[in-house]
Amino acid sequence: MTAERRVVNLEPAFVLHVRPYRDTSAIIEAFTENHGRVGLVGRGVRGQRSRLRGVLQPFGPLLLSWSGRGELATLTGAEPQGGALRIGGARVAAGFYLNELLMRLVRRDDPHPALYAAYREAISALAASGDAEPPLRVFEKRLLEEIGYGLTLDHDAAGEPIEPEGWYSVHAEGLPVRVETQEAATHVFRGSSLLALCSERSLGPDAAADAKRLLRMALQAHLGPRPLKSRELYRQLSGTRERERDGRAPGNTQTGGSEP
Amino acid sequence: MAFSPLIDELIEALRCLPGVGPKSAQRMAFHLLQRDRDGARRLAGALEQAADQVSACRECRILTEQERCSICASSRRDRGMLCIVESPADVHALDAATDYGGVYFVLNGRLSPLDGVGPAELGLDQLERRFESGEVREIILATNPTVEGEATAHYIAELARGFGIGVSRIAHGVPVGGELEYVDSGTLSHAFAGRREYQ
Repeated sequence: MTAERRVVNLEPAFVLHVRPYRDTSAIIEAFTENHGRVGLVGRGVRGQRSRLRGVLQPFGPLLLSWSGRGELATLTGAEPQGGALRIGGARVAAGFYLNELLMRLVRRDDPHPALYAAYREAISALAASGDAEPPLRVFEKRLLEEIGYGLTLDHDAAGEPIEPEGWYSVHAEGLPVRVETQEAATHVFRGSSLLALCSERSLGPDAAADAKRLLRMALQAHLGPRPLKSRELYRQLSGTRERERDGRAPGNTQTGGSEP
Repeated sequence: MAFSPLIDELIEALRCLPGVGPKSAQRMAFHLLQRDRDGARRLAGALEQAADQVSACRECRILTEQERCSICASSRRDRGMLCIVESPADVHALDAATDYGGVYFVLNGRLSPLDGVGPAELGLDQLERRFESGEVREIILATNPTVEGEATAHYIAELARGFGIGVSRIAHGVPVGGELEYVDSGTLSHAFAGRREYQ
């Protein structure tokens, strides 16, 4: 392998995950604007005197510098870019979900500037108030497009434009096929939902449910059988809140609907 | 040159310690064998006993050789106050630094989905049973001020509120004797947002 030495300075990035390494070092997975997902060794970043301990946290926009060759480069600097975004409460699980998707579906060192923009938008939306789900859907859609598995949402297998009133059978790969049914079933979705997702418009309740089901099915095809841990956490976090609202003691009831 | 099998074995065994590489392990082995045989025997005995007998406290999961640790067994501790921390080392740090008179619960980690750690891995079902028993009046969330630590705190807080238990979180702030100029912006913004009335 001919890996030439790379030196990158002040690259906009988000930390996806930090894993302890040796006594005071860490292996940092970051998602960067122009270099995609990169793995960096942060020497001494967990040490007592390190000034980077508080900086290398997920969900804060950073400027990272690194140098090195091969699979893991060495982190040479990190500074916050603008104010830190705070994702509060149960929404942090949605943030972990975005990170887990990137870790699972995006290969290291593949540049995805458009996906970086989508990620930044999704994180800002999670840090703001408002419904947490629509930004997740937009991110999932763009993620699939970026990794080469984008869904076709504006025309069907016959080359006809998608009709808002029609119903379509959609699979992870291949074009939507119009079907003569009038209700949602596995792999069957409203035409209006496909169009709404296609244009990234705000989704009504039906379209939001359709989009969630559709994207989940499409992502599942590429994620493989290993479950997403953050999805489970999101469900559990929303679950505790619902139980609290109901004033019931928590039990092991699983709420199926509230997960990304 | 290779060492004799027993010495090799000792050097290899010492390398399981954090921060000990081949060279340090070799130095330790020779020190024990050449200069401190008694120390070596004591170390061996202590390690064996501790490895066999020490396990987690049934209630708070601090490491101890008793069924309940000295904190949980103490009659002077207020069992209605529960301080929740990530690691056993945090218990010792807090106990040495504060006059806290309640008991602890050690999570042995934090919620971190990307590492595969969820509520079940942290023993939160055990914590929930403790809440259910009605003994706990108030909890103090002393998980680390990281994104994962905050997520953990949030999860436990929601759980506790479901049982009508009072919840507080340790403050984030400027270190004592520190200078604002050198404090990182995240800490400073937390410290500013969490300011208190001056008394």
